[in-house]
Amino acid sequence: MKFELNGQTVTVDVDPNMPLLWVLRDELGMTGTKFGCGKGLCGACTVHFNGQAIRSCVTPLAAVLDQQITTIEGLAEGEQLHPVQQAWVDNNVPQCGYCQPGQIMSASALLSTNPAPDDEAIDLAMSGNICRCGTYPRIRQAIKDAAHSMKHNVQAASDLAYEVKV
Amino acid sequence: MKQLTSESIRQQPSVSRRQFIKTVSVGASGFGLGLSLPACSSITSSNDSVEGAWQPNAWLRFDASGRVVFTLDRVEMGQGTYTGFATLLAEELEIAPEQIQVVFAGVDKVYRNARIGIQATGESNSLAINWEPLRRLGASARQMFVAAASQTLQVPEASLKAEQAKVVHAASGRTLEYRELIKLAAKQTVPEQPELKSPKDYRYIGKPSQRLDSSAKVLGQATFGIDVQHENMRYAVVRRSPYIGGRLLDYQRDGLAPGVQVIEIESGVALVADSYYLARTAADALDVRWQKDDSTPESNQAIFDYYAQEADKQPGELVREQGDVEAALQAEPEGKVLEFEYRAPFLAHATMEPMNCVAHVREGRADIWTGTQAPDVARVAVAKVTEVSLSDVHVHGQFLGGGFGRRLTQDFVAEAAEISEKSGHPIKLVWSREDDMQNDWYRPASLHRLKASLDDAGNIKAWQHQVVCPEIFDWYVWDAAPALYPSAPKFMYGMLARTGLLTEGGALTPKDRSAFEGADSLPYDCEHIAVRHVKADAGVPISYWRSVGHSHNAFVTEAFMDELAHAAGQDSYQFKRDKLASSPRLKAVLDLAAQKGNWGKPDSAKRFQGIAAHKSFHSYVAQMVELELENQQIKVKKVVCAVDCGVVVNPDIVRMQMESGIVFALTAALYGDIQIQDGAVLQSNFHDYQMLRMNESPEIEVHIVDSQEAPSGVGEPGVPPLAPALAGALFKATGKRFRSTPFSLA
Repeated sequence: MKFELNGQTVTVDVDPNMPLLWVLRDELGMTGTKFGCGKGLCGACTVHFNGQAIRSCVTPLAAVLDQQITTIEGLAEGEQLHPVQQAWVDNNVPQCGYCQPGQIMSASALLSTNPAPDDEAIDLAMSGNICRCGTYPRIRQAIKDAAHSMKHNVQAASDLAYEVKV
Repeated sequence: MKQLTSESIRQQPSVSRRQFIKTVSVGASGFGLGLSLPACSSITSSNDSVEGAWQPNAWLRFDASGRVVFTLDRVEMGQGTYTGFATLLAEELEIAPEQIQVVFAGVDKVYRNARIGIQATGESNSLAINWEPLRRLGASARQMFVAAASQTLQVPEASLKAEQAKVVHAASGRTLEYRELIKLAAKQTVPEQPELKSPKDYRYIGKPSQRLDSSAKVLGQATFGIDVQHENMRYAVVRRSPYIGGRLLDYQRDGLAPGVQVIEIESGVALVADSYYLARTAADALDVRWQKDDSTPESNQAIFDYYAQEADKQPGELVREQGDVEAALQAEPEGKVLEFEYRAPFLAHATMEPMNCVAHVREGRADIWTGTQAPDVARVAVAKVTEVSLSDVHVHGQFLGGGFGRRLTQDFVAEAAEISEKSGHPIKLVWSREDDMQNDWYRPASLHRLKASLDDAGNIKAWQHQVVCPEIFDWYVWDAAPALYPSAPKFMYGMLARTGLLTEGGALTPKDRSAFEGADSLPYDCEHIAVRHVKADAGVPISYWRSVGHSHNAFVTEAFMDELAHAAGQDSYQFKRDKLASSPRLKAVLDLAAQKGNWGKPDSAKRFQGIAAHKSFHSYVAQMVELELENQQIKVKKVVCAVDCGVVVNPDIVRMQMESGIVFALTAALYGDIQIQDGAVLQSNFHDYQMLRMNESPEIEVHIVDSQEAPSGVGEPGVPPLAPALAGALFKATGKRFRSTPFSLA
């Protein structure tokens, strides 16, 4: 059985019912995608399936055969962070960091289809991702910053002398 | 319901002792007498540098290549120790914080938490304790590099300046990098009193700089316990009793899928397979039967009935006394005494990363990889369930995907170790969210009875507070006490714990204040005060939950203050601020929150405001909550927070922790409620233990008081004021008093 993972074809030989999350983590050693609930309720396991955000903990391997999967490991281009990742760093988003790969995958999927999301669009796209450390206000700001930098094709400013006001 | 002891419920409670050395609040520069500081400021010089490296002490090492390696002994669970500690060191060492490589400490006595006794991260005290010692460490090393450069260049030290990991001789323009000076620096006399920089020269301290662990975390490269991979490891999933304190009856031993091993352990039945999926599938399919214990608590209702009975039986232990409350209340005419009962539920920690541990146990050695808030306690947990001696247990700490106090308890470490030894393999134990939710060591539920009287001017004449709540120490001592005596033989562990319990409150073992902290420290002017604690333990496993006793006592006391204000016909904010003569710092944050939040002047008629202030872990926080009601639902729109945590190392991290505490507390206030039914925890995942999400997250504004007081913590203090501020706003919006959480209009 094979599928495309971050641009490369991978072959696995496991139960096709195994959720993609465990194929990624346990079979392929790609531990960037996280386990939070196993029931599609928390978003920690979010990956891209042909560019769309899906919850890999409730997606069986069988459903992704011959499809394109992108994980957090595949977002950056070598040393160059994806604008969403850069905005996350610039806004000091991560605290414990465990939910953040899933948050970033949801956010990057949002921006790929909606380059200028308003608060309501952000709520809709991001409310499936739980953060127990309370980074929501910063995530919101980071999405807006990333949208801006992607529109203007510039690196988001690293200036951190700002007030967090959302 | 009979009085239950933790020992009777669990044979292997992986709990730990919290040796709380009394802290003495002192002025700007230092700590009280009798407190031992961590040893990280003391270093040794050496004539023997191994491989050209220099290791001044257990925290700092300079490689021959010039790499600076710092050992972090207070774990990183999001609260920012990784960044904060490196910043303090970098400032005095004159090196960019990003140049420091941070590694997580193993277990060693030198890494013990000076205020707690064990090697635990908690009580929001990491930065406060290490504020001075870490800077002295950096300064000492810096001075030794300068001395080495002085010798090399044959110029006086005074003509040299350290900056950016090198020593510069301005007059000649010659520079020497630290890495060129390592061998010679190691031989220098250690300065007795290293000179610390003046705040006006700070490059890093006080600046809102970027966290040092951000990049790794956004790349998905930060390793959490659950990410650790060990060659030849097998995966384990455990089926445990659904009943609290229940017992295994029997289970089907045959019919398992090929390659699946079944192993009986202390806490249940383990299924071991070659992947989590296979182990989980086998575990879910296993037919297991359990039996309730006599001591299994039946339901929340039964628990609160028991609390009420205990409250009726005895007034409780006096933990704060002023004047004569009984006389004062008795003297009041009928109807002039306000009396209410408040309740707080059991709460789950719900870290995003469920409990997990990789354990490799074999003869003579055990290696443990996990996120833990107390690695020395983890060693005890392993030693108890295996043949391995304590000193042969090695703990390899990782990033924690959330702690909140849950990872102080080492039950999951014990399980992994026991399974590894019995199966003969390295084992990765992973808990599901259901396992995690139902096998938590919860924030205790509590019952509160408050009684107060006012005079005609609105002053509080008498305040009586009876707190009915179990003691966390009873649960934590079993693994923690042995951790304090690492050379004690295993057969003494039980005795050490029992001694800890017997001597609690005496010279040997500090008092467990977890039930009444925040209630005993009532800051308001009042002639007669009596706070009493009735210990009542229903047998539900409990532990430290972010802000601990303050989490329920701030809610109860601040909400009751709102009720008194209303009875006095006064505005809540005015009523409180007028009674804070003895607590100027608390008054200042209350004023700041009210001012920045435009107290009394909400933006629209649809908005309602509530305000509360509370001191916890030496920090002062006030929060003003603004909400709207939409379709009979509570919508918190904005929280304005004022915090005084003394000197600030990284203002952005302070902000982050206030935001974090607010969202954490709001989640609990709106949704947090662990219910026990039929002897089992009802909630199992995020569908029935709801979390606050992006769409409900309020706007948050944080204002930091500019203070020169000694730095105090921010990990927990943002939690306590939220619930009462919200309750106050709800009263304005609905006319209803909310005397228990979670709040709901349903």
